[in-house]
Amino acid sequence: MRKTNYVGRGLLLLVIAGVAGYGIGLGIDLLISNTLNFSGSVPSAFALLLAVTAFFFGLYGYRGITRGLTWQILGTVLGALFVTGVRALMGSSKIFGAFLFSEPAWVFGALVGVISFLFGVGVVDDWMKWARGIDTPEHHEDEPGWEKYFYVSLDHKVIGIQYTVTALVLIAVGGLFALIFRTELAASQLQFLTTTFRLFNQTGPQLYNTLMSLHGIIMIISILLGISGIMNYVVPMIVGAQDMAFPRLNAFAYWLAVPASVLMLMSLILGGFDTGWTGYPPLSSRAPLGMQMFFLGVFTAGWSSILGSLNVIATVVRMRAKGMIAMRLPIFVWASISTSIIALTATQLIGLSFQLVMFQRLFGMGFFDAAKGGNPVLFQHLFWFYSHPAVYVFVLPGLGVISELLPVFVRKPLFGYRWIAMSSLAIALVGFTVWAHHMFTSGMNEYLRVPFMYSTLLVAVPTGVKFFSWVATLWQGKIQTPTPMLFVLGAIIVFLLGGLTGPPNAAISLDLHLHDTYFIVGHFHDTIFGGFVFPFFAAVYYWYPKATGRRMSEFWGKVHFWMMTPSFLVLTLGMMRVGLLGMRRRIVDYDPALGLDFSHFVMTIAAFLIGLSVLIFFINFFRSLKHGEPATGNIWNSRSPEWQVPSPMPVHNYEVPFEVVGEPYDYGLPGSKYVEFASADKVSHSHS
Amino acid sequence: MTHTQEKSSMLGQGVFIFVYLAVLTGLEFFVAISFGSVPLLVVVALIKAAMVVYYYMHIYKLNLEQEGDEHSYEYKSGTNRLGLWLFLVSDSFVFGGLMVMRINLLGLTRPDLNQLLGLAVTSILLISSFFMNRGETLMHNGDRRGFLLNTAITFVLGLGFLLGVVLVEWRLAIHEGLTPDSGPAGAAFFMMTGMHAFHVFTGLILLAVIMANGRRGLYDEKNYPVEAAAVYWHFVDVVWIFFYPALYLIGTLA
Repeated sequence: MRKTNYVGRGLLLLVIAGVAGYGIGLGIDLLISNTLNFSGSVPSAFALLLAVTAFFFGLYGYRGITRGLTWQILGTVLGALFVTGVRALMGSSKIFGAFLFSEPAWVFGALVGVISFLFGVGVVDDWMKWARGIDTPEHHEDEPGWEKYFYVSLDHKVIGIQYTVTALVLIAVGGLFALIFRTELAASQLQFLTTTFRLFNQTGPQLYNTLMSLHGIIMIISILLGISGIMNYVVPMIVGAQDMAFPRLNAFAYWLAVPASVLMLMSLILGGFDTGWTGYPPLSSRAPLGMQMFFLGVFTAGWSSILGSLNVIATVVRMRAKGMIAMRLPIFVWASISTSIIALTATQLIGLSFQLVMFQRLFGMGFFDAAKGGNPVLFQHLFWFYSHPAVYVFVLPGLGVISELLPVFVRKPLFGYRWIAMSSLAIALVGFTVWAHHMFTSGMNEYLRVPFMYSTLLVAVPTGVKFFSWVATLWQGKIQTPTPMLFVLGAIIVFLLGGLTGPPNAAISLDLHLHDTYFIVGHFHDTIFGGFVFPFFAAVYYWYPKATGRRMSEFWGKVHFWMMTPSFLVLTLGMMRVGLLGMRRRIVDYDPALGLDFSHFVMTIAAFLIGLSVLIFFINFFRSLKHGEPATGNIWNSRSPEWQVPSPMPVHNYEVPFEVVGEPYDYGLPGSKYVEFASADKVSHSHS
Repeated sequence: MTHTQEKSSMLGQGVFIFVYLAVLTGLEFFVAISFGSVPLLVVVALIKAAMVVYYYMHIYKLNLEQEGDEHSYEYKSGTNRLGLWLFLVSDSFVFGGLMVMRINLLGLTRPDLNQLLGLAVTSILLISSFFMNRGETLMHNGDRRGFLLNTAITFVLGLGFLLGVVLVEWRLAIHEGLTPDSGPAGAAFFMMTGMHAFHVFTGLILLAVIMANGRRGLYDEKNYPVEAAAVYWHFVDVVWIFFYPALYLIGTLA
């Protein structure tokens, strides 16, 4: 039997549908606006949507994700046509807009598109049956092989991998955007994003703004998906559950992220937006249509995050193994709980703030319009009430991974278990009270500044507890350095840099000078790389054998690490340097007289090296699926229950339940035991 | 306690709670028109909300130990209950955000609305909660006819509330010049009532689902969906307990 090359077929269809979509869009655009606009948005929008759908069709046929995307396109077009029709009937003079449909039509269409996707992909099928009083089996069996990753699966491990791979795809997209605008910054003056350049109805500098904004939000969404990926894959396994508490809700939360990603790409094509990922009004209330796609995309991704964290909390509260009392929970579970508490509650506020701007644009409701008696600063309060705690959503699971992996590779108990468990919760709770430190220069009431400065400085205390614990755990340990451990050590160093540059920003007097400079950019890239990216890579290298039964190449893993870490330090320290010398953030060009050209050139090279190292990671990741060294046993010599059973993990996790009988991190203590499997006992008795 | 005694005592409790809530609502209205003390209105709203959360939404059930193993219906219902409450916590942040928006934009002023209509729709929603509680209690005790009847009454009252707000109240407000784009008062009013009406609408869908499935003969043993729909319905009522004074009673006319 001839083996079909699915990927090749997908890529072929991608090209064909892309060209065809571009042609269709060009024709429709010509029909409506009477101009042949080759760099316009409409042809590109059609090209993108059809190409992506055709790719999955070639790869996978008309089912699962292909059906979802098809339904999303149809839903979007039908929804937009509906509003257009209503407007035509009401005698509106402007039926069509600059991007084919008018703005209300696009917004409604996009919303219908998201809902259509969810029905199309089939993630609500069971709920619809329940609503009609039809019972469904608790679990659905998945097909063996790679196909199951492209349709709705209820297995938390499949969903965890779906999340992780989607996060990696988005990291690649966001990183690509960063490389594009980083290249523009390599020298002063405009090089290729010039004012005469036109793409997607945007000039070069406008496109710079869009790419910069999208880099921010796409990375944020990829981080949210990345932590959901690790939490989904790991949490049920290490608490001894068969699955998450609500498997269908779990799948639903994941599949929300796919149409959200499509909307993000649509925002690039439909005119873009120039506000940065923060979307502050009044600029966001008059930015191009891309702004609305951005709002809707964030809203959808936000629901994904909310429902995912609800599931994590319910799973940990209700489905733990016997004997797993609070003070014997793995640290990663404590971190997941802390992060989920924030994501469950605060996320609603970013959704609400974006929704209010959306309605301000659609219905003229003057929430943030000073001319109508609204208050633009109110937006910033609502927005940062989520978006500051969000950074703790990003880093807490990563810090949990550090604490989880460190004792494994140091062969020594984790220092101060209780303190480190509580410090995650403390960071989460203090994190709710610090949001206005983003607004010291916003013109908010001055008496608010000092309390927010002190609450911000307070975050350093529980974070410091974590550092003390890590250092004390490393102290006199038998340190081994396979790839995951390298990334853990890298994470500690990079996060330390991010942490130390935090308090200066929190101090009002300094922040008034540092606000909106590259110093801030350097600071948060350090915190996010240290708190998320490094631990995320560590987690992927560490749990990859659990998922696949093979391990990733150690050699290329080490190349990845040793190429990425120094480049990254050069990049972010360079950012801080140019920031202190007066470089504004989020800006397409800078004055040659600042004398920053050389620094920016070096930083651009560093950025490309990071890109190359991540490319190496990707190749290693996909190559090792087939060619990696087999690793079915407990290769890291871990005490954690998931490593006591062979890899890859069976469908419903543990054949026999385990019981927690000791402390989780007592590495190197003779006679200590963490988990005991019910039948393992009998087996050892019969053999001895 | 025998089964019938338990049932009648639970129904009786529902009546008592409803009477308290009705009296407090009247008190609220009286306080607002006579001396307009904001702290007093806040206290009354908090008491009302606490009563609904405890007696009608029976939040204490979260603490119950479920009998049976992890795969039993009892245990799974406990997990579902936790999930629902987590969702409500999340959702209340939306309404909390809207409240912050209203306080920030309007302060101690309020839009000029039809007081009588406001009291009327508030009462309708409150009465619907009473019937919802009755319906849930009856189904819990195996009385399908009573459950269907009371849920149907709840549905009709809920629909009445929705139409009263969206068709009557909104139209009156627009007629008086309070439109979404007229200023912060209009924006806040339409956003808050709109978001609440959307939740009432989803609640009505849930009620329709449990009625249809109740008619099909479900819920004799496995009646958690009835409880879930009821709890969600009461949550929508709790939100209105805060939104009603915030929009109609607090402060002076803008």
